[in-house]
Amino acid sequence: MAEATIERAVVTPGHDGSAELLVTLRYGNGGSGHVSLDADGAARLFDLCGVTRLEDLAGQSWRHLMRILDQPGE
Amino acid sequence: MDLIIRNGRLVDGTGLPAFLGDLGVRDGRIVHVGGRIPGRATREIDAAGRVVAPGFIDPHTHFDVQLLWDGQARPALEHGVTTVVPGNCSLSLAPLKAEHRPRLVGMFQQIEEMPDAAFDGAFDWTWESFDGYLDALKGKLGVNVAPLAGHSVIRLWVMGDAATERAANAEELTAMQDLLRQCLEAGAIGLSTSFVDVDEKLQPVPSRYAHFEEIDALASVLGEYGRMLQVVPEFYATDVTLARVDQLAELSLKHQIPTTFSPLFDSAATPDNVTRVLARVSEQMARGARVWPQVQTRPIDISFTFEVASLLFAGTPGWYRTMRLPREEKIAALNNAEYLDGLVNEAEPGGNTARYAAVKVRAVIRREDEPLVGRSLAEIAAERGSTPARVMVAISLANDLQASFLAANLGHNDPARIGPLLAHPMVHIGASDGGAHIQSFATYGDTGYLFRHFVRDRQDFTLEGAVKKITADTARIWGITDRGLLQAGMAADITIFDPDAIDRAEEEAAFDMPEQGMRYVRHARGIEAVIVNGELAWSSGAGYRDAHSGRVVNA
Repeated sequence: MAEATIERAVVTPGHDGSAELLVTLRYGNGGSGHVSLDADGAARLFDLCGVTRLEDLAGQSWRHLMRILDQPGE
Repeated sequence: MDLIIRNGRLVDGTGLPAFLGDLGVRDGRIVHVGGRIPGRATREIDAAGRVVAPGFIDPHTHFDVQLLWDGQARPALEHGVTTVVPGNCSLSLAPLKAEHRPRLVGMFQQIEEMPDAAFDGAFDWTWESFDGYLDALKGKLGVNVAPLAGHSVIRLWVMGDAATERAANAEELTAMQDLLRQCLEAGAIGLSTSFVDVDEKLQPVPSRYAHFEEIDALASVLGEYGRMLQVVPEFYATDVTLARVDQLAELSLKHQIPTTFSPLFDSAATPDNVTRVLARVSEQMARGARVWPQVQTRPIDISFTFEVASLLFAGTPGWYRTMRLPREEKIAALNNAEYLDGLVNEAEPGGNTARYAAVKVRAVIRREDEPLVGRSLAEIAAERGSTPARVMVAISLANDLQASFLAANLGHNDPARIGPLLAHPMVHIGASDGGAHIQSFATYGDTGYLFRHFVRDRQDFTLEGAVKKITADTARIWGITDRGLLQAGMAADITIFDPDAIDRAEEEAAFDMPEQGMRYVRHARGIEAVIVNGELAWSSGAGYRDAHSGRVVNA
């Protein structure tokens, strides 16, 4: 089965009054899901993916996201 | 009679049409509703042309700490809120061993943005048990308090450091059940837990280490008393929220308890979220489960400074890259005219200044810039013959990057969607977060916002329907049996307001926290008087009164 990838990432208002990054994942079986990242997590995602533009997150591997979620305070 | 409110338009909380008449109070209870009351009372209020309604109940607050030095929960009270529910999101100030206080303070600071000064010397931390906390509140309260016990602190009490390491064993489960039972006996209205919050080290709070068996065991204790389970679900992920709805429904049915989850947001980024969650809630309610989604009335505002790289800049890579630079490099870059030209061209392509035009200045550190606070960048730019992006940079640099800006109405902001959502019979209006996030935005006046926008402007509700939603419905959902209605025998919690004027005022900075700490507040508009257990607690003429008539209330 194909690896899950980031389908898109959009900036959304967060519950605590700060902007958050809502990442939509597309799984190999066609399903999708959302993950929300705060400013620090989003900055790490940009770095791990080696991109500077929001739209360039699309197509990146879910594994980058998993590193952030596994080690939130890193 | 202690109090007679004469000539009012009585909106009694049932949702039935308003009617004109008097209302009488004796010994803190309503004794007469409607008709003309003969004779005189110790205090009389003429409410001609005004609505007389039950006091509003706010089911999602974090006033736990503030109540210790401000028993009126200012400014919630002046908005007509006569009962608050603190202790949400797994965090309460009890039960808590002295040795665990620093950890709880860290969690409160991270999740609710409570400053150090709120804990250092602002009160005597005399208690460990839940009844000890309630004792500390006694004699101070100007509002009623229906406190939740927090799952994270219960876990911390029983498991110590292991609370953030592993699941509980059988012995620990029993100890947590016993501790929760003590809290409920003392007066807790229920238990709160969270599946999303993190502490100041960005590690999950203790409640997140619980297996479902633990929550089930605690819910069984709630079932002994028929009390509430409040949950913060993974609200940003619809599919997970749906699973939580199912989980709560199972707990509700198994233990015969009410449950509520908060928040439920509408967002352009996930336009089907609310529809899907409400469909699942409806399905579970039809089975007899009680799973109440809490929805806030106000839109979501985003605040930011140039100190940190807000994701608001992520749509403009040049800006985002600049904001992520080390501080000195960032200042140097923004002071470089050629570099700044590039940023402005990116944010305002072809002279289109829409991106930052509506952004407002929230706070500055330079006294001479204080007149800018509350004004839009477009206004300031017009005065200066500049552009919004350029003035935002100029104000930031002049204030050592510490100027704060506000981008309003960025989420949960489509009235055509929010109005019908709030009016949905299975939606519980709440999630105000009163007393939290105090240095980011004001969490007061959601009720005024409801009447202004969704009763007067859009008519998603009748006046009576809106009052019912935030009084009788709330009381019934939480099992508070003696409040929420204007009815003989009920507690005399009463809000008198002008239906044509009730609203929230503009957000402003206030320096009324311990040690002159700053927070954002909104004062009330259109509220005439607020009565708590028969005592006048606030009036538009005299402001806050030295009344301590608030009580601890429970189901």
